[in-house]
Amino acid sequence: MLKVIRSVLAAFFGVQSEANRQQDFQSTSPWKFIVVGVFMTLVFVFLVGFVAWLAAN
Amino acid sequence: MGRILYAYLYAASICLIVLSTTAQASSINTSSGFNMPPGVTEISREVYSLHMTILWICVAIAVVVFGVMFYSLIVYRKSKGAKPAHFHENTTVEIIWTAVPLVILVLMAVPATATLKKMYDTSDAELDVLVTGYQWRWRYEYLEEDVSFFSNLATPREQIYEAEEKGDFYLVEVDEPMVVPTGVKVRLLLTANDVIHSWWVPDLAVKKDAIPGFINETWFKVDEPGIYRGQCAELCGRDHAFMPIEVKAVSPDEYQLWLASRREAAEAEVAGADREWSLDELMERGAGTYNTYCAACHQPQGQGLPPMFPALAGVGMSVDPDGLRAHKEIVLYGKTGTAMPAFGSTLSAAELAAVITYERNAWGNDTGDLIQPSAIRAMLESQ
Ligand SMILES: [Cu+2]
Repeated sequence: MLKVIRSVLAAFFGVQSEANRQQDFQSTSPWKFIVVGVFMTLVFVFLVGFVAWLAAN
Repeated sequence: MGRILYAYLYAASICLIVLSTTAQASSINTSSGFNMPPGVTEISREVYSLHMTILWICVAIAVVVFGVMFYSLIVYRKSKGAKPAHFHENTTVEIIWTAVPLVILVLMAVPATATLKKMYDTSDAELDVLVTGYQWRWRYEYLEEDVSFFSNLATPREQIYEAEEKGDFYLVEVDEPMVVPTGVKVRLLLTANDVIHSWWVPDLAVKKDAIPGFINETWFKVDEPGIYRGQCAELCGRDHAFMPIEVKAVSPDEYQLWLASRREAAEAEVAGADREWSLDELMERGAGTYNTYCAACHQPQGQGLPPMFPALAGVGMSVDPDGLRAHKEIVLYGKTGTAMPAFGSTLSAAELAAVITYERNAWGNDTGDLIQPSAIRAMLESQ
């Protein structure tokens, strides 16, 4: 699970090492990446919202 | 190899010195046209310094990036026997060249956001002016002062058509400037009557869209008296380039005098409908009104631009003795589905009577019809 989160974070940043990419593609189903990706996007949106809220107060 | 690096650094520093002196020269002489003006408000000066800061960051990045590029191109060229390296990826380098721009962008966003917040803060304004864009003029309504007027292009047609030498303020001069007191926070409420316009005065660092059905807010506070000019910045039809903005900042005392003179002029205009006008008076007034409000489409000699803008000279209702009623109605109420606006809510009774009289008697349209302002007022009041 931690590996999936790491891969999603790497995708957010835009840089992934070749070794990790090979490992990710060993997995047969893309679903865990999609689900974690959507979840992490929501977390990111809330994080930005929280920072904006902090700045506004 | 060292020599090439020195030569590059030498050339780069000379470029920087030339650039920075030009930048300084242009901040003294704002009309150099190569840079944006520092302007005359606190906000405009902040915007200018943000612009310069970001420019110099870009210059520094360009010097580094192109420096590395040209250095590699020259020193490691094939004729010198350089062999290309064959590797595919380098995660560390990729992380660095992603993270560095990210940090630079965030560093630029912090001061930019602080200035943007100030630009949007229209609270505590002491003066509210409703600015409405029309095809092709601006209307200013001083909401608490009961003062309202149109601001039209004042550049003579002869200059536009090259028959005369162009003046110093060619296409950026108006008949009635927007007058504001110095040291007062002025809030602008922007909207439009027909299509989208944009109110843009570089010296005030204000550029805001005026959109039909919406009200946009912005503000400025000028400290020094002066005249600051701008233009419509949203393509709005055939005379888009002919609806300039002129803001005249004066001392608060002078501003009060101006308000009084505007009110007096408005009263005189209304009172004008009480008396009888002669044909000559109406023709003279009508020629001026026609050139300001009608000539853009119907053309100075009434020949129009068919089929979009019909001719008025020699054809149609303006020469038809029975067309007077229809002529009055189209001028007052406009014609839906065409570009003809309703001038009944825009012009005074005297102006309307004069312009209709003019159109029925100029360019050989000798109908002899003489329309009195009082008749137009009666028509407007019966609505
Ligand atoms: Cu416009």
